[in-house]
Amino acid sequence: MKLEQATKVQIAKNALLSLLLYILPIVLMFGTFAITGQRPWEKKQQHKQQISSKSKSVNPQSQDND
Amino acid sequence: MINQIKQIIENLNGYGFSVLVLVLGVLEFSFGLYKKRWNKNEKWVDIACFTIPKLVVKPLVAYYGLKVLPAILPGLKNTFDWVPFFWGFIIIAVADDLTQYWYHRLHHQVPWLWRFHRTHHSASYMGMAMASRQNIIYTIFFSQTYLTTALVYLGLGIPAVVVKGIKGTITTLAHSSIPWDKPFYQYKILHPLAWVLERTISTPATHHAHHAATTDDGVGYYKGNFGNMFFWWDVIFGTAHISRQYPKAYGISHYEGDQWYAQLAWPIFKSKVPGSELAADGPMIKDDVPLQPHQLYRPDKVEEPVVEQVDAVFQLQPVKA
Repeated sequence: MKLEQATKVQIAKNALLSLLLYILPIVLMFGTFAITGQRPWEKKQQHKQQISSKSKSVNPQSQDND
Repeated sequence: MINQIKQIIENLNGYGFSVLVLVLGVLEFSFGLYKKRWNKNEKWVDIACFTIPKLVVKPLVAYYGLKVLPAILPGLKNTFDWVPFFWGFIIIAVADDLTQYWYHRLHHQVPWLWRFHRTHHSASYMGMAMASRQNIIYTIFFSQTYLTTALVYLGLGIPAVVVKGIKGTITTLAHSSIPWDKPFYQYKILHPLAWVLERTISTPATHHAHHAATTDDGVGYYKGNFGNMFFWWDVIFGTAHISRQYPKAYGISHYEGDQWYAQLAWPIFKSKVPGSELAADGPMIKDDVPLQPHQLYRPDKVEEPVVEQVDAVFQLQPVKA
């Protein structure tokens, strides 16, 4: 038993539409960031930098332990 | 506030979900909704398909999350943990449920895949007993599990937990034999809400139609209604059928009780039922056969003929020509 041609075509069309649906939330998220000026990934970078500078000041010789 | 909601949903995932399934199961049995259809063979199928795949899939997913993903995506762990909860929730909900929609739909539309999904459809009843009834191969390759695990690895763990809780609840309620959505169709004032509800999430009416033993009869429609959490995929892709009714019969019209091991692990084990789709020499897809009265979950009500009350007694005389 083979897959019917009409079903094949419908699956292919719907699969293409699905790709757009997968991407849609990501596009909407970045669209919102662009409108509101939010940059949440920068907060993460700053947070990381703060942690690394704190650890250096607490234990300045930590790199020598390798 | 959001943290409290997250905590509630985390707890729901822990024990709450099991409690929900147990309570629904007890209610279904108390109301007699299995109608003596849960015989010895079906009990074995349901229990084996609920327990055994878990023993395989859980370690497999853990290995994939802890070993495979760090090897193929090194250094990307928690890369996207900056994504706000709201957007993480939307991204995971779409990614997980749309992938499951496709996985499910392909098992119905691609003929050689059907037998891996047949076990879920062979039950002639709906409810908690059959909700997790799946062939082990189907469960192992549940594609959205791996996609969601990858997104958790990338930093979307908390939204994933929340989506899992909501999705589990919706799909469980859609499989339940308790038609909780009926009041939405009965009371006119609730019709606008019903219109939105039945197009947004899977409900007993739409999902039971998918489990019907018949199709294209106005109620049953196993050729569509593939959505699990969201029903709008079916609406968007034209695979939806909304009737606000419940089918007369569930399952597969030609099902004759394949052995539990064949239903659990076909094609490793084959059915001994001659001519079954799971038998060694069985067809890939068997055509529907007319339903027998004993297969009807909701038999037509036989109306008693109305006996007219006659007030007067007539003395009838033969008519002379």
